[in-house]
Amino acid sequence: MSLISELWSGVLIEPGRREQYTRLVGEIDESIGSFLSFSLENPTGKPAGKGPLNGLPVAVKDNIAVEGRPLTCGSHILENLKAPYTATAVRRLEDAGAVVVGKTNMDEFGMGSSNEHSALGTTVNPWNKDRVPGGSSGGSAAAVAAGLVPLALGSDTGGSVRQPANFCGVYGLKPTYGSISRFGLTAYASSLEVIGALTRDIDLLETAFGVMAARDEKDQSSISADMISEDATHVVMLEVDDEILDAPVADAYKRTEGALKEAGYSVGKVSLPSLEMVVPAYYTIATAEASANLARYNGIRYGHSPDFSENPTELMRMARHEGFGDEVKLRILLGTYVLRSGFQDQYYVKAQKIRTLIRNELAGVFASCDLLLMPVFPTQAFLMGDAGMDDYKQRVADVFTCLANLTGLPALSVPTGIDGGLPTGVQFMAPAFGEKRLFKAARDLTDSFPLQTAPGALDIRSLS
Amino acid sequence: MARALDEWSLMAELARLELDDNEALRLAQEAERMRELFLTMSRADVDSLEPTTHALARENRVRKDVVDSFENIDVLLNASPELEDEFFLIPNVL
Repeated sequence: MSLISELWSGVLIEPGRREQYTRLVGEIDESIGSFLSFSLENPTGKPAGKGPLNGLPVAVKDNIAVEGRPLTCGSHILENLKAPYTATAVRRLEDAGAVVVGKTNMDEFGMGSSNEHSALGTTVNPWNKDRVPGGSSGGSAAAVAAGLVPLALGSDTGGSVRQPANFCGVYGLKPTYGSISRFGLTAYASSLEVIGALTRDIDLLETAFGVMAARDEKDQSSISADMISEDATHVVMLEVDDEILDAPVADAYKRTEGALKEAGYSVGKVSLPSLEMVVPAYYTIATAEASANLARYNGIRYGHSPDFSENPTELMRMARHEGFGDEVKLRILLGTYVLRSGFQDQYYVKAQKIRTLIRNELAGVFASCDLLLMPVFPTQAFLMGDAGMDDYKQRVADVFTCLANLTGLPALSVPTGIDGGLPTGVQFMAPAFGEKRLFKAARDLTDSFPLQTAPGALDIRSLS
Repeated sequence: MARALDEWSLMAELARLELDDNEALRLAQEAERMRELFLTMSRADVDSLEPTTHALARENRVRKDVVDSFENIDVLLNASPELEDEFFLIPNVL
């Protein structure tokens, strides 16, 4: 059992500490807004399992189903929906003793990099409350950084676990596509997205991943595969123009090279000629899949419905008009456009061929190295409503994260310290099923980059 | 912009999305910006490559085509905005 698991193990069992915990979460989260719902009462009454996560509180992003709890996806269209079943990843955590305590805020349907596209509340960065926590799993990242939970689940379609983890100074894992079942994850871009995890403890992250990773009959894309060895000695760094990165991010990237060498790794350099195609290909595929997946929200079987409509078509149009926010509508429009008859070869098929090109390039990279090192995002956490970082610029800035989603490869964002009062970090990518390498590299950097604690964070040791 | 506005309004129609005038203009401008970005893909020489539809397809898994039961049927039905007995209610079609 990891140290953090030991510290948390009795909190939900002893009545006094349980009450204190609930009160402190309420007090701290009042100014952060990481949770959309929080309750220690199990809505199903089903007994908790026993295992390596005994008594460990877990927060779950609000696009992952937990029976009896809300499943809003950060959207008005699902504001009043409760999940009728539990996602396989969550069930496996519960079977191992973990206890779901709440659902976290997110950009609507996972579409955003700041959490500002949530229709249901504002979440701020625990390190600086004028700044965004990142997105779309911003609520999960903020909850972990604020010490409210030791572990949170998120989903990562183009960087939605790694980027907020980076902004909030915690670890964020995007596992190999297929390693963790997506059953119960609300679909946005099915060929890209995975359930991932965020925590401040690398041992706990490895344990939680081990618990969740399994083939699932309920997810046809889940894979049972042997993990590759953790042995890693050679890392290559992606060559990045310094001018693309803000100074603290570029500095953290350079310092990581030194820290890796100190830890015994050899470090080389690599360029990816197809990198400039990553963002357009990613958004073409993501919006195409989004337009198909979000067609199900029509105001009939569940979700928001208008007060009045003349006919079924108007019912659908108005339900979607009133229920979706701007970013979701934009992506549905784009997806409809790229899938339109006559346009598919120019956009969607082209993007899928570029995906092949990128996969081939990365296969070449991993033929001669064990891990690939990259920045996570070109900036640190930016200001809320930052005009210099508008929605378009945020999308383009996904370049380093969506690479892992296009290729299905695992990637981990690792905190490297604090600069100017805000977290910095880097990202490691490994070959498929190379998660152990990611955990080892992160562990090897802990001496150089000890984890920092956000101001005002809950210290679980203070509960008596 | 008028042509772009018509184009994106047609997409909204196909996607069953009602847009008010302000939304239509705002979203058309943003969509045009993204379309320009998508068009940069034309520079990639990928004609000889096969498209990737699935990042790590190792097998084509299918399940047996059998009827299964779901224990929380009432929860599913009660999530509907309008229900009559076991039927979803929608406005008159004709």
